[in-house]
Amino acid sequence: MPRPESKTITFTIDGREVSAPENTMLVDAAKLGDVEIPVFCYEPKLGQPVGACRMCLVEIEGIPKLQTGCSTPVKDGMVVYTQSDRVTIAQQAVVEFLLINHPLDCPVCDKGGECPLQDITFGWGGGISRFVEPKRHFVKPLELSPLIAIDRERCILCYRCVRFSQEISEDYQLVLLDRGAHSYVATFDGHPYVAPFSGNIVELCPVGALTSRAYRFRARPWDIESAGSVCTLCPAQCNVAVTVRDERALRVLAREHPEVDDGWLCDKGRFAYQSFHVPERITQPLVRDGGFLRPVSWERALDEASAGLRRAGARAAGVAAGTTTSEEGLLLARLLREGLGSPHLDARRSGTVSTGLARALAAPALQARVSDLEFAHAVLVLDTEPVDDAPILDLRLRKGVRRHRTKLAVASPGATTLAEPATLCVRFAPGAGAAFAVALAAALRGEDHAALARDAGAEADQVAALSDLLRGSESDEAQGPHEVVILWGERLTAGDSADHGAQALLSLADALGLADTDGAGLLEIPAHANGRGLREAGVLPNAGPGYGELAGAAGRDAAGIAAGLAAGELSAVYLLHCDPLRDLPDRQAWGEALASASTVVAHASHLTQGIREHADVVFPAEAYPEKEGTVVHPDGRVQRLRPAIAHPGEVRHEWRVLAELAERAGLELTLHSGAAAAELLYASVPFYAGLTLDEIGGRGVRWQERAAATELGAAAPPAPGPGAASASAGEAAAYRSLWDAPEVEFSPTLEFLFPHPELLADDRAASAELLAPELETAS
Amino acid sequence: MASPPNSEDGGAAGAPGTSAATLNVAAWSPGDDVIEVQRTPAPGPTRSTWRTFVETLRGLGTTFGRFHETPVTVQYPEEKTPVYPRFRGRHKLHRFEDTPQNGAQAGLEKCVGCSLCAAACPADCIRVVAAENTPEHRVSAGERYAEIYEINLSRCIFCGYCEVACPFDAITMGHDYELSDYDRTDLIFTKEMLLAEPLERTPLRNEGE
Ligand code: SF4
Ligand code: SF4
Ligand code: SF4
Ligand code: SF4
Ligand code: FES
Repeated sequence: MPRPESKTITFTIDGREVSAPENTMLVDAAKLGDVEIPVFCYEPKLGQPVGACRMCLVEIEGIPKLQTGCSTPVKDGMVVYTQSDRVTIAQQAVVEFLLINHPLDCPVCDKGGECPLQDITFGWGGGISRFVEPKRHFVKPLELSPLIAIDRERCILCYRCVRFSQEISEDYQLVLLDRGAHSYVATFDGHPYVAPFSGNIVELCPVGALTSRAYRFRARPWDIESAGSVCTLCPAQCNVAVTVRDERALRVLAREHPEVDDGWLCDKGRFAYQSFHVPERITQPLVRDGGFLRPVSWERALDEASAGLRRAGARAAGVAAGTTTSEEGLLLARLLREGLGSPHLDARRSGTVSTGLARALAAPALQARVSDLEFAHAVLVLDTEPVDDAPILDLRLRKGVRRHRTKLAVASPGATTLAEPATLCVRFAPGAGAAFAVALAAALRGEDHAALARDAGAEADQVAALSDLLRGSESDEAQGPHEVVILWGERLTAGDSADHGAQALLSLADALGLADTDGAGLLEIPAHANGRGLREAGVLPNAGPGYGELAGAAGRDAAGIAAGLAAGELSAVYLLHCDPLRDLPDRQAWGEALASASTVVAHASHLTQGIREHADVVFPAEAYPEKEGTVVHPDGRVQRLRPAIAHPGEVRHEWRVLAELAERAGLELTLHSGAAAAELLYASVPFYAGLTLDEIGGRGVRWQERAAATELGAAAPPAPGPGAASASAGEAAAYRSLWDAPEVEFSPTLEFLFPHPELLADDRAASAELLAPELETAS
Repeated sequence: MASPPNSEDGGAAGAPGTSAATLNVAAWSPGDDVIEVQRTPAPGPTRSTWRTFVETLRGLGTTFGRFHETPVTVQYPEEKTPVYPRFRGRHKLHRFEDTPQNGAQAGLEKCVGCSLCAAACPADCIRVVAAENTPEHRVSAGERYAEIYEINLSRCIFCGYCEVACPFDAITMGHDYELSDYDRTDLIFTKEMLLAEPLERTPLRNEGE
């Protein structure tokens, strides 16, 4: 779908000639001429303006009444006044009216100091109020949800929060009740406002009516610093700004990036920072001694880990997940491959895609960007549930449907939250994603797909309907190439059907001509936050950095490692941000595997079951605002984590720990800084060649858009075979949502969203026992 | 690398221990920036003698001329200089007098932990960390209270801006100026110290005094 274009026009504002794109709203156009028009309810992210607050009144020549600048598109030759007497009087009146029922409790209000109402009252208000009658009163503050407090007296009825709930997250929970001056924001029947994106209304509210319960009263704007970062709690990698006071993270705000997050955050990203500063966090190395984990010095922990790994030698293995950065992945790969001579290494949950197919899938021409989800003619969500896998993409899909009439189709094994905006929902049998893709590809090529659809547990006519939708009708074709984006989950290439899934995707892409169409393509949601980066850094059993060929034979994948450990063929395992009992499928196999492993080295931030029962050496893991390293967004955007807060306790940079172990294993790395580690990564992966930290900057850069992208030697994929993909139901059953994470479990206000409350008490008790201050000093 | 102008001659560049003899001193000349120091001409013998005797005696004359006056030294600490009522000394935090809570003797704190004093402070010596009042644990009248309130008096310049900024008259400048201590950290006054009834050890100046 063509991106909106507009021509530039010239208009006059306060006697100044200003050029602006036609049809932008006056408020935005005025900014181009350095004129500020005050606004409360206008927020372009929320879609069409509503003109609720009347703060933005301006005088336009030729129109007798004052107009709202937020909803008047600018036209050529318009003459606008924002400082005439009429406008000033109107602005002062609006402020006076807004303050009539406002409690003016700025000293106790959390918004004080960063409050648009304060600023606008100061800048455009009359300075006095003539209102002496009693104000409207509500009970305050009330709990709108465990995350958000609402103070209805402060609400200026701008509708922003309600519009967010109705039009952006489409959960339809917030409403305005009652009328006139008595209106108030509420939920139906007073139910708590619990939704995956509820935290955004705190940031949207222009006054202190909606405040975060986790941040309430923690700091004032002049007490804090803001540090840009990238949330790595899920693959969506939203850009965030961490509010820092006394070297601790106190709040996480969105740092709008139209190509990544569109300015929104999910509640996990917004509130899970609390888990970085809880007493349950591991902040010093632990070593198992007489059956119990005990805090020890770094030297001792490093000795134990390196001795254990050296004993295992080629029988060691490694699994990376979670917030592992690409540098850490690369160092782990080098430690295992070069230091210990073991090829057993994985960063995928299950299954291995052969190198040629992986390269073909990563081909720049096939890669869709996040913004393509919004502007494509049709989007197919294939075997993934965005709200559980990469939540922010859920909002992007809804935006596309709502504002650009994208046709959304969802193919999934279960019910989907996208059913309402979707044009078509197709079901297939759990674990049969690959088989379904094969059937769909056959339907798109016009072959007989009935049997294939039956194999995948889908209905043949639904598959046909889906293929029609993706192919587009004749009338669509008249408007240029039909852009289709396929958003697929890593589950499609899980287990034994990994190659089938990959092949089926490639043949889908081929049938739809995705490679030749700009704005069309494939977009994968990996299972782990930096899944793409780790694979590109070579944390795969069958490929080196940049999907390069390995010198020796391929190693075992995650499931193979578990089997090898249980059978005694492997003896040590290195777990980087990964508790296999939680993060990987087949909990039972991993339980046995870890129990029979002789050395388990783990980087962990919390004592979850797998770590506390099986790890022999635990290095304290860094939280993402403490890290220095590179992460790669699912669409290939290389982003950078820069340290924002201090390491608590004895936590060290994890790349340093891995580099130290690698050096003890005989590698010569001489890495002295995070920048040097990054350089090593960019030099190791051919298609990152020449990347610099400056180039990545704060917004990241897609490697597909750089000259070095050609270094990804695209191998011709094998011809798509017949769909014999078997349904691996075990994998589907082990499906894990992003809310099932220690960051959610250990964040005091977020814990109610943790899906396994029964684990919570155990994990808490174990942490309290082990990490109690007495014990820490005892060793 | 092109050698920069004004660097040492020859290949000695960068080598440690380059002796002064090999330095091209002219290259280091600061050029036109040098201004010659202006000196008065050295005094002649008459002037020197005049200075030594006559001027010295004149100075001594002033000294001896004051001999009959009473001393102005204040015998601190036995004797203290009284201060004006608006003198800005050590800060005090205040409580409401009429709202004793939960059987406690003292009333609620006036400070709500809004941090406005910290924002106003030019020396950046106030640190406020606020927390939320609960019905069981009510410290101040508003929704929030100051959990930590510290003033680093070794940094404070006693400008009184904090007093002016406070919307609740919770902090005022007292009269106490006796603020020396053996340890810098003891000069960080905590909320408890600031709330405590201060020692009345500074006399107030009476009217007309
Ligand atoms: S919302 Fe703004 S103006 Fe209202 S009390 Fe809070 S800080 Fe003051
Ligand atoms: S609560 Fe805030 S965002 Fe919602 S209507 Fe009131 S002022 Fe606007
Ligand atoms: S008197 Fe001035 S310097 Fe001292 S604490 Fe108050 S504002 Fe700061
Ligand atoms: S002393 Fe006054 S200005 Fe300072 S935090 Fe307390 S209430 Fe606010
Ligand atoms: S900003 Fe224009 S009416 Fe609210």
